[in-house]
Amino acid sequence: MSTLTERYVHEVVRRIPGDQRAEVADELHATIADTVEARGTPQAERDVLAEMGDPIRLAARYADRPLTLIGPELYPAYLRLMAVLLAAVLPLTVAAAVALDVLDHDDAGSAIGTGIGTLFAVGAQLVTWPTVVFALVERSRRSAALAAPWTPDDLPPSGGPSGGGTAGACASAAWNALLVALIVWQHTARPYRTDGGERVEVLLWSGWMGPIVAGLAGMALLELVRVAAGGWSLRLATAYAAAGAVFALPLAWILYRHEFFDPAFLADVTVAPAFYTVTALGVLAVTAGDVFRRFRRAV
Amino acid sequence: MADEDLLRSQAQELRRGTVVLACLMLLRQAQYGYALLETLNGAGIAVDGNTLYPLLRRLEKQGLLTSEWNTEESRPRKFYRVSAEGSRTGALLAREWEDLVTTVRRLIEENR
Repeated sequence: MSTLTERYVHEVVRRIPGDQRAEVADELHATIADTVEARGTPQAERDVLAEMGDPIRLAARYADRPLTLIGPELYPAYLRLMAVLLAAVLPLTVAAAVALDVLDHDDAGSAIGTGIGTLFAVGAQLVTWPTVVFALVERSRRSAALAAPWTPDDLPPSGGPSGGGTAGACASAAWNALLVALIVWQHTARPYRTDGGERVEVLLWSGWMGPIVAGLAGMALLELVRVAAGGWSLRLATAYAAAGAVFALPLAWILYRHEFFDPAFLADVTVAPAFYTVTALGVLAVTAGDVFRRFRRAV
Repeated sequence: MADEDLLRSQAQELRRGTVVLACLMLLRQAQYGYALLETLNGAGIAVDGNTLYPLLRRLEKQGLLTSEWNTEESRPRKFYRVSAEGSRTGALLAREWEDLVTTVRRLIEENR
């Protein structure tokens, strides 16, 4: 048999689970050879492979895998989330970026450039991350559905995926993402000008910032997962609690140690000691409250 | 043109389940993939290889078929045959089919 069939079979079997590859390859070789032989024309091999069709599709049939990224059950929630993100969050973000630029440079050309840049950069992020999260949830739902039969206990808490919870979750996710963006922005853009004219960061960029940003990003992602899943489950709430702890504990710690602001910034601005105590306690209380509310909705 | 496509996809939807039933009946005698495809098409059950071959494998995974490689001839081939459970399932599906035909025929005649 010539290499055309071999290439085709290889393209199919490399997409199915490893333990089935050898046997499916042997079987495909045999059936293709049988079919080609029965046709007996010079063109037969090409024709037969063309009829077998796209290797990706055939592999999906062998592996019993969906050919969709986001299936019909999750699609309405996905569409709703995209509508909120692209119709509300994106224009607001672009408007805010343009306004900041106008304040900074007072130059129409620069403001338009920033507007277009933000539109594409933020737009790409807004489309990519929810899509990735929904695709992962789609995959995990399929395997979970195979493992355990559905019971009424699996119903999402009252309101369901179409309830007002979606908008709230979108807002929480957008808020956490905005905080992440602000923290990273103040690190890269150094927006504060001291009296000496030097540009400095507002926050002290220490090793603690890593977990704080990761925790915030985790909380934002879990809100998106919650939209896809249609409600808080015990597992989701536990993951949210972990992300909340990763965010809030280091933040409260650096506030308590007065290591929150950059020393260069503090040389210019006086911060009352009470600010640290109040903010540290506030961060802990708000995060604990958020976690508690999610657990209550999960049970 | 669009009507023709619609009709074809509806007819395909109707036929979908019959391939499984036909396989469970035909494979009381062991056969290999291509020969089974020819038998099915010859019997008027239109099915493509890229549908039938993965289907056979799935039925085997579900325990309804068993398989064996035959290496006696020039080309090694995988022969499928119904298992005891596949035979029982086939009989139940056959009865289901009879009921369905009776019901649908009555519906058609009553509303002609």
